[in-house]
Amino acid sequence: MDMKNVKNVDYWQIDHRLKNVSEREGAIVMPSPKAWEKFSWVKKYFLRKPEEGYFVWLKKEGKNPLTTCLTIASPNISQKLNNLLVIEEGIKVKINGFCNAQKNNLRGSHIAQGKIIIKKGASLEYNHCHQWGENDSVETDYRFILEENSSLNYNYKNLFPPKKLRIKTFVFEDKNSSSELDITIRASNTKIDIKDNLVLKGKNSQGIVRLKLVGGENSEIKAKSSIVAKEEVRGHLDCQGLLISESAKIFLTPELICQNKMAQITHEASIGRISEEELIYLRTRGLNEKEAIGLIVNGFLVAKK
Amino acid sequence: MLLEIKNLEATSNGKKEILKGINFQIKKGEIQALLGPNASGKSTFAQVISGNPKYEIKKGEIFLNGKNITKLPPEERTKLGVCLSWQSAPAIKGVKLYQLLDRISKEELQKSNLKELGIKDSFLLRDTNLNFSGGEKRISELLQILSLKPKLVIFDEIDSGLDLKKIRIFSDIIKKELIDKKISILLITHSGEILNFLKPAITNVMVSGKIICREKNFKKVLATIKKYGYEKCKKCGLLAN
Repeated sequence: MDMKNVKNVDYWQIDHRLKNVSEREGAIVMPSPKAWEKFSWVKKYFLRKPEEGYFVWLKKEGKNPLTTCLTIASPNISQKLNNLLVIEEGIKVKINGFCNAQKNNLRGSHIAQGKIIIKKGASLEYNHCHQWGENDSVETDYRFILEENSSLNYNYKNLFPPKKLRIKTFVFEDKNSSSELDITIRASNTKIDIKDNLVLKGKNSQGIVRLKLVGGENSEIKAKSSIVAKEEVRGHLDCQGLLISESAKIFLTPELICQNKMAQITHEASIGRISEEELIYLRTRGLNEKEAIGLIVNGFLVAKK
Repeated sequence: MLLEIKNLEATSNGKKEILKGINFQIKKGEIQALLGPNASGKSTFAQVISGNPKYEIKKGEIFLNGKNITKLPPEERTKLGVCLSWQSAPAIKGVKLYQLLDRISKEELQKSNLKELGIKDSFLLRDTNLNFSGGEKRISELLQILSLKPKLVIFDEIDSGLDLKKIRIFSDIIKKELIDKKISILLITHSGEILNFLKPAITNVMVSGKIICREKNFKKVLATIKKYGYEKCKKCGLLAN
């Protein structure tokens, strides 16, 4: 997933302006304030009428992934977005969500709250990519509600974080549902606060959370990742940090809360540095130190267990 | 002279003295072998030539084509043509072998070589050196070396963990891709098996950080070591420096 190759955007908001909304079969896509007015049931998902943001209601499977883009293109823009995504029962869909600043020095603010409802038996693969300028400030709060027998594969990737980033991700799972969350962040010159919470409240629900964090120059990452087991469930938390600068700090706090004796929840957490041997090995292949570190870091970010 | 080493003394991290005054020369297109018991300093010698900063050169100089490369970092030495095939290459998690080859490559991979080595695409799609068997590690090293367009290749135990059939295949590829192109080769070997296929012009014996023997007849050296062990080499000291 790469923002350079974004094509066929279904919902694209630039600053506060709507660039385009597509029509596609089996989907209703519109700004969330408009959805608030049009569908009374939408109101229960928002505290008040949203100011901006998208509403996506997927009723049928489509050939291509649905794509949303929320962009800051002008200086000093402050977006306050409320997004709602509803996946109807039994369908399998893929969504690509991009949030970005078009330039590096716009000093923008992007505050996004989102609710994602995955109805019974539905399946969602959601690739969420952030790319910000070095003076932006970003706060997101996404809540995924998984109904019975549904599944979620959520990949959040941020290789160009803003000056300040706070991301909250909550997943609530009902009976027999499953989720995989991958949160991948490469930080430099930034302060990042991550909070994710997987609540396994339905019997036989299961989930895996994987955090991969790279701390570069002048960066501080605080990550609190938790799993709550309320029923006979299975969950695993895997938090990995890699420090590549003397001026980087990573604080990892994995937390397991078990409220059922039949539940099985586990975690592993590690923070390391780049292996000197790997670095020298790649240098004997003709790569300079910076290139070798780049390759190792990219490998760390994409490596599967 | 392609590579010339004068009175080289090196330590590991400034502590233990491993190489104790080595003089060594290799001509363009020449094949030499380096034998020695465990912990004699063979791999350290290879690492020092390739510029591994873990080792500190206390004394002596290394010249490549007359240029003093003693203080050059490893990547600069590689660019000048000094390429090391590692004995124990580390795994690079998440970096597929084909990605690494693509990144470092100066030469297109010859499909015929891949076929001869019995390489399938799935091998190139694996993380570099991760959970590779001994044989797979050797293949990975050989492919990387061939991609680098070297002038001098130091093969550190390229034949270790390979059966005779594989050693023959490796030797055929090394002949075709390196020897026929007048690339100089230093073969560091414990078993000496590969020497029967590649026939070095000079065989060196290293014991306790010193080259104590330089002999043209590799068969004579192998036979002596096989019969009497390296103790005989210590006493003989043929062509000792």
